[in-house]
Amino acid sequence: MLRVENATGGYGSVQILNGANLSVERGQIATLLGGNGTGKSTLLKIISGLMKPWSGTITFDGQRIDGMRSDSIVRLGLVQVTQGKEAFPGMTVEENLRLGAFVRHDRAVVARGLERAFEYFPILKTKRRQLAATLSGGQLQMLCIARGLMSEPKMMLLDEPSAALAPQVVLDIFRIISRICRDGMTLLMVEQNVRMALLLASYGYVIKDGVIKIEGPADALMKDVNVKLSYLGGTVAEQEKQLNLNH
Amino acid sequence: MTYFIDLLIVGLSIGMVYALIAIGISLIYSGLDIVHFAHGEIYMVGAFIGLVLFNTVGLPYPLAILGSMILTGLLGVFIERVFYRRLTARGGGYTVAGLGMIISGFGMSIVLQNAAYLIWGAKPLPFLVRFGMPVEIGSIALPASYLWIVVAALFLMTVLHLFLTRTPLGLAVRAVAHNKEIASLMGINVPLMISVIFGIACALGAAAGVLIGPINYVSVLMGTAILIKAFAAAVIGGFGNLPGAILGGLIVGITESLGAGYLSGSYKDIYPFILMIAVLMFRPAGLFGTIAKMKA
Repeated sequence: MLRVENATGGYGSVQILNGANLSVERGQIATLLGGNGTGKSTLLKIISGLMKPWSGTITFDGQRIDGMRSDSIVRLGLVQVTQGKEAFPGMTVEENLRLGAFVRHDRAVVARGLERAFEYFPILKTKRRQLAATLSGGQLQMLCIARGLMSEPKMMLLDEPSAALAPQVVLDIFRIISRICRDGMTLLMVEQNVRMALLLASYGYVIKDGVIKIEGPADALMKDVNVKLSYLGGTVAEQEKQLNLNH
Repeated sequence: MTYFIDLLIVGLSIGMVYALIAIGISLIYSGLDIVHFAHGEIYMVGAFIGLVLFNTVGLPYPLAILGSMILTGLLGVFIERVFYRRLTARGGGYTVAGLGMIISGFGMSIVLQNAAYLIWGAKPLPFLVRFGMPVEIGSIALPASYLWIVVAALFLMTVLHLFLTRTPLGLAVRAVAHNKEIASLMGINVPLMISVIFGIACALGAAAGVLIGPINYVSVLMGTAILIKAFAAAVIGGFGNLPGAILGGLIVGITESLGAGYLSGSYKDIYPFILMIAVLMFRPAGLFGTIAKMKA
């Protein structure tokens, strides 16, 4: 469904991505793992159209999307779910959700989307008239996932859904993400939380220095997680400490 | 007492005109991250277009307002697409427009002034509208022209408010004002929305011009003074904040009118600026400054 071939890119004259390859099949949950500064955010931005790749091709659903504007990519059914802090704070929960459905002009679709969002995240229903600025970190992340679902996309790109959240909240959110996938969504999830991501995903990519260093089925990656972890920036011990937080 | 109320009404209606222009300046500021220095000339051109529609075409006054809003709005979209976008689109998108944008704003104001001078001449033109008898409320007689301004401006503000809060397009405008990248991830065509914002701001400026026409004359130089006043209004309210722009406009209008009535008429342009300086001294972000960060 999504295929990235030899993508390079960066900021100004600084090259961050050095030819990344990645593909996600329909209905699959793939995860892109990597530490800070490894190029995973850049790769995400290049896929969603926020940045133009310097070279390489990106195809989504049989169509070339590299170099397209991000709003056109959303119209094709590929949506990037932002981190929770990127909700619109001056708007209510419902206004945020309605914005997610901006590309869908059919009122019935919007109504259906709201209903589905409130079913996945009942807490949002009770807060639908409140400003997003009043939500907690976990609720904001839920709002952003729900907002991404509103346009009924074929595939979602998740940008670190566990970032800066308490372990219990992360568990809640991952549970809902897995439910969304069981309902037929294709996902590429960028994560730093290695164990949680590999538990959820069926296939994993590890990025370092702007290239995919390791890839494989999630359970295989999980088995020798200690070896792989060394690629995730920092030492194995540090990563283990981070993992222990999530037990 | 009647004298005071008279001054208040004059101040309120002029303040509404300032508010309409200040809303436009604030909209452009929050949407495009630029301060538009040619906005006074947009107001002037709008007044002339309204005058042509009213006198030459023979439209009734309300339709002349509407027609001028549409035409001036389109002119604004044209100016933004053809001239400003080249600057704002380069180097870091709309955020890093820099000094070039300010200079081109001043340049555009000179171009529009001279274009208007060539088309309509240097002589101020009267805008004669028959509003009928003053409306009497108790012992106070309200001149209908002032009442018209207040009613029309309130109507336009209500429409703008409903547009921004109740329609998908309005939500998109607010999203673009808050964060263009995130807005584009919602599937919003950001460059198109920038044009929409600019067009709306110019249409509101045009409405202000046509509304003030019957009270003052319509002249090529009418835009220069009002830009600074509207600017003061926007600063007093908190730059980029729309309710703040309205409140700021009314404060500037009323201060000016009361100052002219009770202190001295020849210094009437000074009072709002004294107020602005005071606001900046005690609340540097403007009256609504605390929530200005959220924009729109």
